[in-house]
Amino acid sequence: MLRGFYTAASGMMANQRMQETLSNNMSNANTPGYKADQGTMRAFPELLIEQMGSESIPVSRGLNVPVRGHVGSLNTGVYMQEAIPSFAQGDIRETGVGTDFALIQGTVPDESGSIFFNVQNEAGEERYTRNGNFTVDGEGFLTTNQGYYVLDDTGNPINTGGMEFDLSSNGTLEVDGQEIPLGLSYSPEAGSMVKEGNDLFQAAENGEPVENARENEAVEFNVRQNFLEQSNVDANRTMTEMMNTYRSFEMNQRVLKAYDQSMQKTVTEIGRIR
Amino acid sequence: MNRSMIQSAVTMGQLQSKLDLIGNNLSNSETTGYKSRSADFSSLLFQQIDNQSHEHAQVGRTTPEGVRIGAGARLGHTNLDYRQGSLQNTGRDLDVALLGDNHLFQLRVETETGPETQFTRAGNFYLNPIDNGQVLLTNSNGHPVIGEDGENIVLEEGFQGISIDQDGSILVKRGDGQAVEGELSVTEAVRPRMLEAIGDNRFRIPDGINPDGIMEDLPRGDIEMKNKTLEASNVDVSKQMTDMLMAQRAYQFNAKSISTGDQMMGLVNQLRS
Repeated sequence: MLRGFYTAASGMMANQRMQETLSNNMSNANTPGYKADQGTMRAFPELLIEQMGSESIPVSRGLNVPVRGHVGSLNTGVYMQEAIPSFAQGDIRETGVGTDFALIQGTVPDESGSIFFNVQNEAGEERYTRNGNFTVDGEGFLTTNQGYYVLDDTGNPINTGGMEFDLSSNGTLEVDGQEIPLGLSYSPEAGSMVKEGNDLFQAAENGEPVENARENEAVEFNVRQNFLEQSNVDANRTMTEMMNTYRSFEMNQRVLKAYDQSMQKTVTEIGRIR
Repeated sequence: MNRSMIQSAVTMGQLQSKLDLIGNNLSNSETTGYKSRSADFSSLLFQQIDNQSHEHAQVGRTTPEGVRIGAGARLGHTNLDYRQGSLQNTGRDLDVALLGDNHLFQLRVETETGPETQFTRAGNFYLNPIDNGQVLLTNSNGHPVIGEDGENIVLEEGFQGISIDQDGSILVKRGDGQAVEGELSVTEAVRPRMLEAIGDNRFRIPDGINPDGIMEDLPRGDIEMKNKTLEASNVDVSKQMTDMLMAQRAYQFNAKSISTGDQMMGLVNQLRS
């Protein structure tokens, strides 16, 4: 069988998946705190191609003994291995809305480290987000866009009573003279955070555990009220990558067609009786 | 269907809603007491795709197993911006502007389920005659304005002048004397995000929501208003225009993504000609 036939098909599938990733980034170019995914391609594991044949042994019964010889290795295509979120800081935009918080990352001890707000999902589990587009619900709790509770340093929902509160740059809410530190987490290996949708990240089970950002002195951060961190999607770059992906898809399609044409020749021309 | 096309189509629908919101703000840039609205995006759910079943073949990964691909973006909650609009002197006796943030006048509105208290920032009031030689203070739609005692404000006809004091007292001039014949009631929205805008510049507490703690009565001394003045809309036209440009560009980008997806499907289609 023509091996390259499926190689070209895998190239098309990988490029299609890449396009999906890019398109999702583009969709979220206006989502506060969104972290762009970067797709990486990888060759399928190498296969060792073996030659198959047989040798006949000149005995009276005519035995055939199979023999094998190595031909070499071959990759049978490509797949999209990872979509790695880029944790680069997004731009900061002033909104003037008191419930908009922007988390600005200062220096952190690990190159791949990142800081998050702690929130609670509907199942009561702790999740992490960079989207500080918060609001106050009917009972006075500070919640996210989706109504998930924003947690304080001890893991409890924050009751602000109303809209009258101030946030200091170290992330402490002042409500009625009471000081409530916002729950902030630091992940030394942010790449191991799993995107869950609704702007949430989950700490991977076998990845580096997240730690309290306030307890690590080497972690510097700054929280600003009335500001929002914008998405870190670069529309120019995404568009360029989209064009690139499209052309790569097209090239694989050409290869596939070329294979199809050779097969057509095999089927229709070789061995034709005139 | 191609997943990238679904993502973009969903997002375009949401961007359209954002444009609707901006359009409504711009239409109300001259509406008395209008509070501008804003909405930000939020990412939609992510789908995990297991792309490689051989774990040992994935050396050097930096992220957990599988690939996660999102489903586009949607609008999150809508924010009402309760900030003070600019004040406009009208010289009209029955125009008042509230100066405190989140302060609202109360109106009694007849609904299908009986009378209901609704709230407004628009302080352009009118006097409507009722049968027995009295006049009723109403807003521009004819809904009675609620006074300090929780009742409608009714005045006897035949006065020479009327004005509203800065603490909401209605001063009526009859002959040589001047007397306070009514007081406007002002409440403060403690959790203004819970209020539902119902058009005509009015807000109400949504059904099924416990009204406790959402609105709070203001003590007389905390009320501050300015008479012969109206509060203009707080829509910032230049911000709305910028948002509109941004939404339009985002719309274009998503449309481009759909057409790229379509071209890719076209290429697949040409595989067998």
